[in-house]
Amino acid sequence: MSVLTIKDVTKLFPGGTKAVDSFSLEVADGELVCLLGPSGSGKSTLLRMVGGFETPSAGLIAIDGEDITRMPPEKRPTGMVFQSHALWTHMDVFKNLAFGLKLRRLPATEIKRKVEAVLELVGLGGYGSRRVTQLSGGQQQRVALARSLVLEPKILLLDEPFASLDQHLRERLREEVRDIQQRVGITTLFVTHGQDEALSMADRIVVMRDGGTEQIDRPDVVYRNPQTPFVAGFIGTMNLLEGTVANGIFTRASFSHPLAVADGPATLAIRPEALDVTPAEPGAAKVHRVTDYGTHGLLDLDLPDDTRLKAMVSHPAQYRHGMGVNLTPRAVSAYRNNAQIFRSEA
Amino acid sequence: MTATEAGALAPAPTQRKRPIGLLLVAVPVLLVLWLIIWPIISAMIQTIWLPTPEGGRSLSVSSYEFFINDPYSRANLSITLWTTAVCAVLLLVVCLPIALYLRFSDSKLAAYVQGLAIFPMFVPSIILSFAFIRVLGPNGTVDLLLNSVGLPKIKSPYLTPWGPVIGLVWDNIPLTVLILLSGLGNVSNQAIEAARDVGAGRFALLWHIILPRVSNSILVAISFAVLGIFSAFTLPYILGPAAPEMMGPFMQRTFRDLFDPTNAITQAVITFGFCILFGLFYVRSVAKNRTP
Repeated sequence: MSVLTIKDVTKLFPGGTKAVDSFSLEVADGELVCLLGPSGSGKSTLLRMVGGFETPSAGLIAIDGEDITRMPPEKRPTGMVFQSHALWTHMDVFKNLAFGLKLRRLPATEIKRKVEAVLELVGLGGYGSRRVTQLSGGQQQRVALARSLVLEPKILLLDEPFASLDQHLRERLREEVRDIQQRVGITTLFVTHGQDEALSMADRIVVMRDGGTEQIDRPDVVYRNPQTPFVAGFIGTMNLLEGTVANGIFTRASFSHPLAVADGPATLAIRPEALDVTPAEPGAAKVHRVTDYGTHGLLDLDLPDDTRLKAMVSHPAQYRHGMGVNLTPRAVSAYRNNAQIFRSEA
Repeated sequence: MTATEAGALAPAPTQRKRPIGLLLVAVPVLLVLWLIIWPIISAMIQTIWLPTPEGGRSLSVSSYEFFINDPYSRANLSITLWTTAVCAVLLLVVCLPIALYLRFSDSKLAAYVQGLAIFPMFVPSIILSFAFIRVLGPNGTVDLLLNSVGLPKIKSPYLTPWGPVIGLVWDNIPLTVLILLSGLGNVSNQAIEAARDVGAGRFALLWHIILPRVSNSILVAISFAVLGIFSAFTLPYILGPAAPEMMGPFMQRTFRDLFDPTNAITQAVITFGFCILFGLFYVRSVAKNRTP
């Protein structure tokens, strides 16, 4: 049972930069929570504070109720996997994994048993005598994960662990890491700026911006029901239209859509897959580009004021550059003053 | 045209550039052969192809026998080896903490410390020697300060074996710090943080993570210092004792004051022998430590 509690944590760097601003989160036992946000949103700083590599300017960090806010990293029950693997190249794989256990003065037989078990767990059985420089990027990342897991930490911290790997390897490893995390049942905090990683791995996603929280929810909820225009624009592909609402109709250039909210400015959010397109001349928009992905197509559409929209279609061959189309959203969200004011489902 | 002919018409760029490359390295190689290798060989020949009373020359190792059997020559070699070893240890003890501080400190003070550590590089040895005499010599600044508060004078290291040690350590601090600092640049912050994450304290970090990663740099720094100190002249000549004396002043005195070039060259060849031994040890260690 390991619960991570982060309460009102703030981090001010010299010069007054506020990297994290009154951040609070509770990660349940065995849960994998992703911190997702653009560069500079404070997610890595927050993770480093949990790992003990940065000291919060204010707030509390606790594991199972024990305050660890001022505890140095070497004393914390956390294990961190770094973006660059951070393996010690002067040691072989076995020594990399055994180093932490030796510092805990475990008997040699126990160290050997634990290292071999964790190497099996990450699929690197028999690799103990290899030099880390002889391993591929994916294997090095697995050794880095094993090095953290072998110490059986209460909390596993992953700092963009797949950022230096190619796309194919990244997809394979994230499935493997998720499997291992669920098998071990370890509470995990995972930093990424890749929305695919967050959506495919996390039990919950924390979308961060400027050191604060924009939304904390399950991946499907964050995708389908973004609470702010920032989340709507950051997760997946989203059409965000700035316009005005008058008499229950949202209007932007030639595009209009019924919207049951009070009159005034609004931002309408429509997923490309929720925007139906029908050929019509002259139509509300013109086709700018057709991209055929094989399984589906993506249309780039221009409104008369050059606003660019995207729409997903099942038969892209029907469309060509310059063709007029009408647009019918099946599901929309609307925002005003950075808050959701309307939502309809398909 | 066949594929073979096409290939023959397009020789590899490296093959075309080879003569230019060889010509470029030829100049320094020839200079090394002329100015370094040939004088070494010539000196070796001169010490074993000695004049005979009959006016001819014959093969003899009598000059080496003299060096080995002469207690004063042996004492000079011993004091040189002692000075070199003590300086190497002191340089490591003094420079490693400075380099570690400069590598891992974020404070503004680090810039000033670096400036101070590099400063001796710009001070000529002769000025350093006179500064040493004025501060640590008999009736120097330290003695005056101690006297002003009623304390006895220090036992001055001037003209003792510790005189050259202090001077040579001070003189070699900049290069040693810079080489160690460059080696420490290879130790990434994440490697340090990963070690702390698995429970390493300060000593474990230094012993298991940092030192193994900078062992080559330590070897390079110590090699440079040792090779320089072994054949040092100015500081041992001004600050050191008259007898025994380090090999540098010994060679100069044998050559110029005693008008004995054969023995001076023999001393030089023996000094060169010790330096080349250390050089070979350094090359072997670096090659052994290199990550495959």
